[in-house]
Amino acid sequence: MAGPLSGCDRRGDAAASPVRSRLRRRRPWSVLWAGLLAALLTGTLAIPTVAAEDAELDEVLAGFDDEGDQGLEEILEGFEEDDLEPAESEDEPVSRFWRISGELSLGSSYNLLSHRPPPGSAQYGGLSRLRADLNLQLDLELPRSWRARIAGRGFYDSAYRIRGRGNYTEEVLDLYEWTAEFTEVYLQGSLLRDLDLKIGRQVVNWGTGETFRVVDVLNPLDNREPGLVDIEDLRLPVVMTKLDYYFGDWDLSLIAVNERRFSDDPAFGSDFFPPEMGLGLPDQEPAQTLGNTEWAAALRGVFEGWDLGFFAARYYEDLPRVEYPGFTLVRGALVPLPTQHSRLTLLGSTANVALGNWLLRGELAYIDGLEYFHRPDRETARVDLLVGVDYSGFTDTFIALDLVNRWIDGWESSLLDAPDFVRRNSLEVAFRIQRDFLQDRLHVTLLAVGFGRNLEDGSAVRLGVDYDLRDALSIGGGVLLYQAGDLPPLSAYGRNDRVYLQAKYSF
Amino acid sequence: MRGGAVRTLWMGIALAAALVLPAAIAGAEDLTAREIMQRVEDRDEGNPSIIDVEMTLIDKSGKQRLREIRAFGIDRGEDELQLLFFLSPADLKDTAFLTYDYDESGKDDDQWLYLPALKKTKRIASSDRSGSFMGSDFSYADLTSRDLDQYDYTLMKETEVGGFKVWQIESVPRTKQEIKETGTTKSILFVRQDNYVVVRSVGWLKRGGQLKYMEIQALEQIDGIWIGTEIHMTTKKGDKTLHKTVLRNSNIRFHQELDEDFFTVRQMEKGL
Repeated sequence: MAGPLSGCDRRGDAAASPVRSRLRRRRPWSVLWAGLLAALLTGTLAIPTVAAEDAELDEVLAGFDDEGDQGLEEILEGFEEDDLEPAESEDEPVSRFWRISGELSLGSSYNLLSHRPPPGSAQYGGLSRLRADLNLQLDLELPRSWRARIAGRGFYDSAYRIRGRGNYTEEVLDLYEWTAEFTEVYLQGSLLRDLDLKIGRQVVNWGTGETFRVVDVLNPLDNREPGLVDIEDLRLPVVMTKLDYYFGDWDLSLIAVNERRFSDDPAFGSDFFPPEMGLGLPDQEPAQTLGNTEWAAALRGVFEGWDLGFFAARYYEDLPRVEYPGFTLVRGALVPLPTQHSRLTLLGSTANVALGNWLLRGELAYIDGLEYFHRPDRETARVDLLVGVDYSGFTDTFIALDLVNRWIDGWESSLLDAPDFVRRNSLEVAFRIQRDFLQDRLHVTLLAVGFGRNLEDGSAVRLGVDYDLRDALSIGGGVLLYQAGDLPPLSAYGRNDRVYLQAKYSF
Repeated sequence: MRGGAVRTLWMGIALAAALVLPAAIAGAEDLTAREIMQRVEDRDEGNPSIIDVEMTLIDKSGKQRLREIRAFGIDRGEDELQLLFFLSPADLKDTAFLTYDYDESGKDDDQWLYLPALKKTKRIASSDRSGSFMGSDFSYADLTSRDLDQYDYTLMKETEVGGFKVWQIESVPRTKQEIKETGTTKSILFVRQDNYVVVRSVGWLKRGGQLKYMEIQALEQIDGIWIGTEIHMTTKKGDKTLHKTVLRNSNIRFHQELDEDFFTVRQMEKGL
């Protein structure tokens, strides 16, 4: 869920009517959230309170006073053999310089509400995804501890054939029906004792956020089905040349991003495509030239009980912007201008502090170079702040809360209009609770994400369950509920509630 | 998987299933329970070490799951560093877990988890050590050295286990905080008198009226150092077995050439 409902300011890429008149108060989902969480915390998951634990401890400790010698002898007889014996170990694996691994999964989504997102798209309701997905990875051990990876991914979604391909737009079929691509392809090793090189298509994950991204700007995301993209596939690898120099407790990274690649966002005709964006506009991506190389640097320190990081990047904005005035005259006809990607500069910092069962997290970023349709002559800066906390004090349970505010410097009310759709302050909140049951065989996750002080910009709740049938074979499912927002892209999500199932085999 | 220290995995992953110098055995019959446990703690660990660990998880119906780990350990005096790489199952492959276990009383361990699916190293903050390690019957507390000052030890009697003379020692945490963090309200330990290895233990869990039985089924001396090569940990309620973990150590290598630079986030992210 990290990418699709997170991160960037949400803007359209086509002119549309102002949306301020649409702004309205909805009944927030906070009531539902609270109900779900209460059930999770007090009922189904039965997480005990500290007070209850203390009472229980007293009871247990008191019980020792009554324990007689005979009871103890019976207990000590428990060492006797039982019938549960492990299978004999298999033969030693053959040591090779190469290894093939991967995943095969089958996933399905079923839309709970029938609706037809405009314009002219399919009737969404019922089966919306039935996808077989294969990830293959070849790892090579090379001389002098160098290594290489070649990985690829392909999927085919038969839901479109079942529902009738003619019911879907060309854009939807192009993006959702099938794909085959190289994912990670890189060479990695040490040039000197303290100097590492990694070159090729790769993922670099910056930041401390559990759900949202502030300084983590280098890899685009797979947003095709927001909230339901496997975490392994969420970040899209790009070609980079990365040098890491280690000294003391510090790691200095210098990165050249050699490939321009942008997020896979919902396509025109998808039920996640915001209606405010009209028919969509062609996107003019920066050319793959040396002059367009993106640059980044990070200095990260790891210390006893805390971490600190400083980040800088000169990169292209992931979200395309509509070029003012939006159209141009070609042979007397109005032709829409393609969308562009602004060149941005980021300066940021992150920190972690561990205190007992608590981990306090923070990120701060200053981003300059933003361009907006309604402010054509001026570049704009934004300040993003993330504050997060993790708690691990309940047995087999992990709880995380992220809060982000994105503040636009010199914001004007016109920026709220199409196609910019940005507020002066965009508040985002995410709450996640995960718990393992049955000796780590059953995993339950609740994730609630909201946008806006009163959730006026939308929200989503996902409750998911995964069960390990046996080693490397799991099945799972859950429900994902959306509340539409006043601004894109969540303005399109209101009737997209769905249930999902997935089976995955790793090898 | 979440936090919790794992310092002594390579030593047999048991409640202080440990060793002491042979010289310490002289005059053993006069030792108090506390002194015996101190000698259990003051063992030669074959520092640094590399061990392949195979952990079989067996549920009450006999269904089995397998986890394979390569464990690296180094003792840098007061603190111990541990780096684990998960080799299987396939969906956990390349996951790595790094622990700095500080000897200083009251100082929390530093822990990091590398998640290959996310390409991210996460710092873990958890002073609670009662959770299951990788779904096994071992808790993180079972895998961590314990502060002897946090416990009262009582020598119950001398008896025999597997034909060897042992001391039977009761261990009770002194504080509710220690009980809360370890999840165990009391333990009885069986320490072999000839080598100070805890060959058996039973622990009372604070919740659910459950008991955990640890038993070293195979004990070997490698490079002069005793180590459990097959250890069983069984969770029971009454006489019913709820779950069992069988841990086998192999490819045990002591006194390896590893320096502290290996026990870093850099190495976690590079992998084995």
